[in-house]
Amino acid sequence: MPAIRNQIRELRAMREMTQQELADRVGVTRQTVIAIEQDKYSPSLETAFKVAIVLGVPLEQCFQYDPRGKR
Amino acid sequence: MATSLSYREKSLYASLIAELVVYGPYFFLHRQNSLNKVAGMIIAIIVLQIILQSVIAVFTRNRITDERDHLIELRGYRAGYLTIASLMVVGLGLLWFHAEAGHLHLDSARVGLHFLSVFFGMLVIADITKTATQIVSYRKAL
Repeated sequence: MPAIRNQIRELRAMREMTQQELADRVGVTRQTVIAIEQDKYSPSLETAFKVAIVLGVPLEQCFQYDPRGKR
Repeated sequence: MATSLSYREKSLYASLIAELVVYGPYFFLHRQNSLNKVAGMIIAIIVLQIILQSVIAVFTRNRITDERDHLIELRGYRAGYLTIASLMVVGLGLLWFHAEAGHLHLDSARVGLHFLSVFFGMLVIADITKTATQIVSYRKAL
């Protein structure tokens, strides 16, 4: 299980936002959004904040850190 | 979920194809025996890269790059650097060994061309390693 997990897919679905729309608003590629949603890539703090702001939720609702997880 | 290739990925695949198409025949068929062939190969790789990268740029609407692209680029450069550093150490070690053992029978006229080919070969291997590492990183998500 990865150390940093996220609820981006669920939060995005609730807002009927596509991966491309989120990527455009955050300023990353759609492939990066896919990698983040699949827990294969942990974004920088700046990108994490941008994602949370675009989705309109606090950072900790978007991303969770599990110290027992694999880095 | 389908993952289409990003602009950087397409560009990397084009670079790898250009490198294999140009360097492959040069090193495996031409036997590196002429300065003109080296010059021809350098011109060929530049022309092929310009054509391929232009085609990709024209047909790719979204050409942004982000932090993940930069991270993967750095990973590729690290792999390329480690490759060339390792090859240099091995190459210099072999050169020293053969010189000490008296196995070097290169006539002076061809020494320059020989070393040009060897060092150019090291650069090519390091460059291909860099590109391949970046492609693998993209396929593994990072």
